Amino acid sequence: MRAIESLRLAWRSIRGHKLRSSLTTLGIVIGIAAVIAFVTLGASLQEGVLGDVSPDDRRNVYGWAAEPETEGGPLAGAQPVFSEDDLDEIEQREGVDAAYGYMPLSTQAIAYEGEISPQSDALVAAGPSYIRENRLAEGRQFEQGEREAVINPAVAGQFEEDVSVGDELTVALQGGQRTTVTVVGITESSEGLSPFEGFEPSPRVYVPTDPFYTEDAAASFSGGDSGGANNGSDGNGTEIDGNSSDANDANDALFLAIVVEAESTDDAAIERAKESARSYLESEESDASALLDDGLEVRLQTSAELLQQLEDVLNLLQNFIVGIAAISLVVGSVGIANIMLVSVTERTREIGIMKAVGAQNREILGLFLAEAVILGVIGAILGTLLGLVAGYLGAWYIDLPLVYPLEYVALAIVVGVLVGVLAGLYPAWRAARTDPIDALRYE
Amino acid sequence: MATSGTGGAAGADATDAGTAVALEDVRKTYQLGEPVHALDGVSLEVPRGSYTAIMGPSGSGKSTLMNLVGCLDTPTAGTVVVDGEDVAALTDRERTTLRGTTVGFVFQTFNLMPRLTATENVALPQLFQNVDRDQRRERARDLLERVGLADRTDHLPNELSGGQRQRVALARALVNDPAIVLADEPSGNLDTDTEADILDLFGEFHDAGTTMVVVTHERHVAERAERIVHLLDGKIERIEVLDESEGQQADDPSSRDRTDSGADD
Repeated sequence: MRAIESLRLAWRSIRGHKLRSSLTTLGIVIGIAAVIAFVTLGASLQEGVLGDVSPDDRRNVYGWAAEPETEGGPLAGAQPVFSEDDLDEIEQREGVDAAYGYMPLSTQAIAYEGEISPQSDALVAAGPSYIRENRLAEGRQFEQGEREAVINPAVAGQFEEDVSVGDELTVALQGGQRTTVTVVGITESSEGLSPFEGFEPSPRVYVPTDPFYTEDAAASFSGGDSGGANNGSDGNGTEIDGNSSDANDANDALFLAIVVEAESTDDAAIERAKESARSYLESEESDASALLDDGLEVRLQTSAELLQQLEDVLNLLQNFIVGIAAISLVVGSVGIANIMLVSVTERTREIGIMKAVGAQNREILGLFLAEAVILGVIGAILGTLLGLVAGYLGAWYIDLPLVYPLEYVALAIVVGVLVGVLAGLYPAWRAARTDPIDALRYE
Repeated sequence: MATSGTGGAAGADATDAGTAVALEDVRKTYQLGEPVHALDGVSLEVPRGSYTAIMGPSGSGKSTLMNLVGCLDTPTAGTVVVDGEDVAALTDRERTTLRGTTVGFVFQTFNLMPRLTATENVALPQLFQNVDRDQRRERARDLLERVGLADRTDHLPNELSGGQRQRVALARALVNDPAIVLADEPSGNLDTDTEADILDLFGEFHDAGTTMVVVTHERHVAERAERIVHLLDGKIERIEVLDESEGQQADDPSSRDRTDSGADD
């Protein structure tokens, strides 16, 4: 018997039991839909988290020091260990284009023309090249040593009148000090510029580490956090508190993290910069090494590596959820197998008739297998559609960019066929083996 | 020694064109706790174009004999030759093919596929012989017309009366031009008038050259045949020849000495 005839006959008997067939298919539909929906949501989530991260910081190596066991993303468990001297030294090393400190600064509020907007973590102190040229919508990078700032659109648009280049902002730091900055540039988007900031949009004011951290803000840390610094003394700290601008005090400020720029974006250059920075930081001559003795470990990673970690976590999560959804597929296939067994028993007599009029065992097998596969394929197709719709609604609801993982759609159909074959195999084999004499006598 | 058939050219020779089915010393034993001899040494020849009735009480071996002749089963001992093929020597697949092409079944309970139309039911055996769809339909409609159901071709079995269903079954049995049509109590589920119609139809096809074997326990059904084989306890009790005009009474004794049953005619 030809395959098309098997399918035609199988389709007839599926249609003969509409309710039963639909319920059986429903199991597969739910299973496949769950898998597709979750995979779509997962892919959309990844796209949402990672998608708009432009790789224009590819030559940056991000470093921070933390306990070796610390798990997590960038800056997890980071301790301030990098001194100004360390940065200067690293910058001299082979393969390093530039090195600067990175320090998020706690703030109380930002004021513009008398209007005050409360902000807790709006200030980011870093080197000028942290603001990459191509990220600037207007203006220029700030300069080290100047009271200049680059703001992002979220800050610019926060006040009644938009802040523009050349305006002045007043920032109230956590310690209560107020400082005035001149806006020299505005970035094109409000998303973070590096993995340190995270990638979600939020208002940020980027300022040079000198003077904002080394002079102003370090004051509030010197009493506590940097108390363990090699040459840190309470005396100096007190002086800073007294708003001293002594140049030597700048050396006391320890950075939470460093950004090392390699000479180019190729892997070898990045590796060279990484090695230079690491070998220096772990050598006796660095200020950081004294603190590293406390069991801290320097981590130096590129954006790509950090993103990879994040991606790995997301993938793990997604695989876990898809695994759970896949269980419903297994349940669905058990449903098909069960129905097929019932169907074989119920149609014993029909099997007997077909055998009596010349149906071969493999033709009976093919007939029942075709039925199971049709149920599986229909389930897979409907499940895929439902899954795509559910994924679409989910992505829309959580406000994620919609990404359809099309390879999974193909996979779903394959799985549907496979589930059908596997679930139908034993019942079909039972049907094929039915003795026509007994089958014809079967009531 | 083989029985000599009415066509009687070369005895039970497998290649004999005049013999549709030949059984020689066939035994069938079932192991049901203790061995049960359903058939206990039966020799019978069914010539082509003949009309044979097989009668006997329950448990006499009618069904077993029918299963053997219909290639549904193989004998424990002896040979069953259907259309020149020794059934026991065939593989399961070959036996199925032989059954599909050379035997047509008509059952007491009609045994039509419930979800197939009359035409599709009639065409079913050809489906398994890879006959083209259009060709199948044409053949099926042709046969349905011959059994008087030209206006019922697209009806499902449950839309047909018992007699109509049996006509469909008969058409299905004939679709592959079988060497033999085996009917098991073909009128057992029919009322008297319908029964007469169906049996008339059997007669018509027999007259047209079809070999008929009808298993029944009703005398008036059996009497439509040319001869009646009486089975009892797995043996041929006697063979009764009804149609004198065909006049081949030489059948009886040779069968009888095989079966060790008393000859009474």
